[in-house]
Amino acid sequence: MPNARVLRDIKARHGVNANEILRRAYLYVARNQTLPPQVRFQAQLQLNTFGRYARPTTVQNRCTETGRGRGIISEFGLCRYQFRLKALAKELPGVKKASW
Amino acid sequence: MAAVAPSRIAALTRLRCELFQTSYNPTSVRTGAKYLRARLRGPSMVQYYPQQLTVAGFNRMGGGFKIQDWDEHQRLADVEEKKRRGKGAPKKAKSPAESRRMSKRR
Repeated sequence: MPNARVLRDIKARHGVNANEILRRAYLYVARNQTLPPQVRFQAQLQLNTFGRYARPTTVQNRCTETGRGRGIISEFGLCRYQFRLKALAKELPGVKKASW
Repeated sequence: MAAVAPSRIAALTRLRCELFQTSYNPTSVRTGAKYLRARLRGPSMVQYYPQQLTVAGFNRMGGGFKIQDWDEHQRLADVEEKKRRGKGAPKKAKSPAESRRMSKRR
């Protein structure tokens, strides 16, 4: 069972996925300087009605093993310690401990 | 070499936009096109965490075969036991005034 922060992140990811197209449409209207200001303002108000789990900035990549939120090596989706453990156990293809 | 008139340069830019099917926007007005042009990020975002098979997920799949979730069973039993001993979760506050957060502030 993943920890609560991971569950929250999963929720945010699904929220972003579900609302993305609608948000993009409102963003297009709100940021379009060729449209009348009133229309743009209404679009901005609509953007503000989305919850926090609809914004892509809420999503944070966490460690897929431990759920840690800092020190993530994004290529592997692992935190630095899990990355080290897995690399030393030869579970990450192409990763080798440096030695010279 | 003589300087080229600005109107000639503008005409050239307009023609270039026409040829390469780009929009002619000499004053750089923000049209919001970048929000339509950008790829959707949701589908790849959802796939970040690897799929994990849980007991509840397995039971939801259907197929006429259910397995007992003993961990969940144990958790519910523990909650019941705690409630019986008066150590359960407090009652939900009916109004903001009786919430714990309010009483702390006082």
